[in-house]
Amino acid sequence: MTDGTPILEARGLTKRFRGLTALERLTFQLGRGEILGLIGPNGAGKTTLVSLISGTLWPTEGEIYFEGRRIDRLPPHERAHRGIGRTFQVMKPFPGLSVLENVAVGALFGRGGGERHRSRARERALRCLEFTGLASRAYDRAEALTGPDRKRLELAKGLALQPKLLLLDEVMAGLHPAEVDEVVVLIRKVRADGVSILVIEHVMRAIRELADRLLVLHHGEPIAEGHPDEVLSHPRVIEAYLGRRRA
Amino acid sequence: MTLRWLAAALACAALAAVPLIAPSAFRQFGTEALLLASLAQAWNILGGYAGYPSFGNSAFYGLGTYGTAVMMARFHQPFAVGLACGASLAVACACAVGVPILRLRGPYFAIVTLGLSAMLAAIVRNLAIAGRNIGLILPLTRKDTLFYELALGLLVAATATVALLAQSRFGAGLVAIRENEEAAAVMGVATTRYKVAALSLAALITAIAGGIHAYWITFVDPASAFDGSLNVKMVIMAVFGGPGTVLGPVVGALLLSGISEVLASTISTMASLFYGVVIVVAVLFMPKGLWDAGRELRRRGLPYFGENLRRYRL
Amino acid sequence: MALFVQIVVNGVLVGGLYGLMALGMGLVWGVLNIVNLTHGALIMLGGYTVYYLYVRAGLDPFAALPVAMLGLFGLGYVLQRFVLGSIARSPLLNTLLVTFGLEVVATYLAQLAFSADLRTINPPYAGQRLAIGGVVVPLVPAAAFGAALLLAFGLWIALGHTRTGRAIRASAQNLGAARLYGVNPRRIFALTFGTGAALAGAAGGLYGLVAQLNPYMGNSLTPKSFVIAILGGLDRPLGVIAGGLALGVAEALTGAYLASTYVDAISFGLLVLLLVARTSRLIRSA
Repeated sequence: MTDGTPILEARGLTKRFRGLTALERLTFQLGRGEILGLIGPNGAGKTTLVSLISGTLWPTEGEIYFEGRRIDRLPPHERAHRGIGRTFQVMKPFPGLSVLENVAVGALFGRGGGERHRSRARERALRCLEFTGLASRAYDRAEALTGPDRKRLELAKGLALQPKLLLLDEVMAGLHPAEVDEVVVLIRKVRADGVSILVIEHVMRAIRELADRLLVLHHGEPIAEGHPDEVLSHPRVIEAYLGRRRA
Repeated sequence: MTLRWLAAALACAALAAVPLIAPSAFRQFGTEALLLASLAQAWNILGGYAGYPSFGNSAFYGLGTYGTAVMMARFHQPFAVGLACGASLAVACACAVGVPILRLRGPYFAIVTLGLSAMLAAIVRNLAIAGRNIGLILPLTRKDTLFYELALGLLVAATATVALLAQSRFGAGLVAIRENEEAAAVMGVATTRYKVAALSLAALITAIAGGIHAYWITFVDPASAFDGSLNVKMVIMAVFGGPGTVLGPVVGALLLSGISEVLASTISTMASLFYGVVIVVAVLFMPKGLWDAGRELRRRGLPYFGENLRRYRL
Repeated sequence: MALFVQIVVNGVLVGGLYGLMALGMGLVWGVLNIVNLTHGALIMLGGYTVYYLYVRAGLDPFAALPVAMLGLFGLGYVLQRFVLGSIARSPLLNTLLVTFGLEVVATYLAQLAFSADLRTINPPYAGQRLAIGGVVVPLVPAAAFGAALLLAFGLWIALGHTRTGRAIRASAQNLGAARLYGVNPRRIFALTFGTGAALAGAAGGLYGLVAQLNPYMGNSLTPKSFVIAILGGLDRPLGVIAGGLALGVAEALTGAYLASTYVDAISFGLLVLLLVARTSRLIRSA
């Protein structure tokens, strides 16, 4: 599954906002083709980490390496061109555009600079929509989508970039158990295509099934790392969640 | 598709033929209206497509005006050289100023552009080569038709540019920036580069319009070159007509120019009042512009106006 | 040296007015998230109101201030309640456009009604001066400055210590929660906008005492108020007044040591630079 050089590596990653330390000297690696689950109570710094990797934020200290090259001072679009894609927890569609056009943006500007022609981009976008089961709604306005469909749109947008690394930020929040299973299957398929994935989740059942490894953050610091079963029964982890475990 | 281009070509030919048959007063109105339409179209690129509303494109208009005027009046260069100078100044300004100010979102950006225009006007007032407050006089040409055709040519070029842009990858990027800039960046759109490019394109078209106007009027001074009311007009025309569409700003500009011309002959210089009222009413009842209103009215009829009110009120 | 101090003092006196102008704009922006491009026109209308109250009704300008403030408050209240409130939830650009359009209309009507002549409000005591420690301080600008500070202080008290004031601040921070506590958004927003307009009106009246009124004065005052408001922290009176003072002094120094024709250039140039620098810093730290 993993093969030597990690595709993503963080060293001593620290992020401080005025008066608040979101991340404190975080060091970890993500191997090629691996699914790393990132969990922790709210406010633990998970979304901050994703923002640092995708380029929306810059670290206060520390470095991030993607495929062996430093990226922590690159603008977000550069990182997209190198193959990093992300979904947003608070979904960010392009409201005035159709579902297809939303995804087509990713195809037009993604890895390697994306497609040059809008028609080819639209073809790829359609394929991504088929993959995530949204093809029937391709021509609807993006803002008309609700709940689970919005999540699917986020996923399709991320995939349209043809990422090597996909950062998923709570894609399963608010889904029924049956829908969660569908998304798990989708994510597995994505990994089978060779994409490395970092998954932030609160839905424990899903993360336990999906993740090869788990990393637990609490107050911006890593408190456990390893195989899901080990990590989830770790006393510090249980304590961090204050005994609130979702099955 | 080709039918559309054919229709457009016919329309252009018709418009081009107008000055040959119409009285000179109409030629004058026509030239003004065509120049304004170009300004609206230029604004459309950054304001309509990219979603960055500039309230200070008059800065570029002024640079184009003065670039042309100084070249022609001081250095006795031909018109083409003057235009090139004015255009270069404007594009250089856009690139220089663009990077810092385009990092600002919405209202910050709008106000800074307001300040930019005022600042350039104030600087020009102190430059001897530009004739300070007195201004410059350009060589005279009596060929009215020439300016009409130049203005038409500029409008056609500007509209063709926007039409191509709307279909291009660049245009898709601008629209993505407008709809959600953070998401666009993360999906690979080089936002700053694209915005500066859009601003430069707008500056280019705006400056050429200024140059044409300068040669036409043969007189420039800071007040008229950096005329603030132009900002009002171009923004209103573009927004009223339909920002983010290819023909919206043209329709808006020509329509509003026509109406204000009619009003002006009945009630003197009501222009500002007219434009102000138009924008308030338009934003309240048809915020997406005439183009969208035209489309939706056919589908939904009059309730369209009420819907906008209900959707957006507190 | 004495001349330098004199110039700085003059700058400070005008700067206090700038601060007051910025406060009105910042209040509306901080609470309603409206960038009010009509602000300059409201200042202008306040100025003319005081002028005509003085010239036609013989009312002392300082006594006319509350009247003007009341009038402008009403105007602002109506504007927000019926016009701006109707587009409150549409994209910010629309509010910019509407206030832009209103400004154009107001300026035009003012020019029609009042003519473009420059006017100053000249009460009989206008020429008097005070001598404080070797520096000559003209009475009227000093009194205007004092009035401006008083109003700013009053705003600070009202926002911090009255029920309505707290409701306003709550709405600024979290409208949803404020609603749960019984705040009526339409009323509160209209009140806030009215207050901003009243402050603008007062600033206009005071401005007429120290400088000249003309229908177009709003065009340059709006951007200045905007930038001072941002730099000062929107609705924090202390910061905003300080920003106003700084701009006033900068303008006075430019006018005295360079040339009056450079004042606008420097003034706007500074504003643009500061705004860009300030926002860049905000972005870098993100």
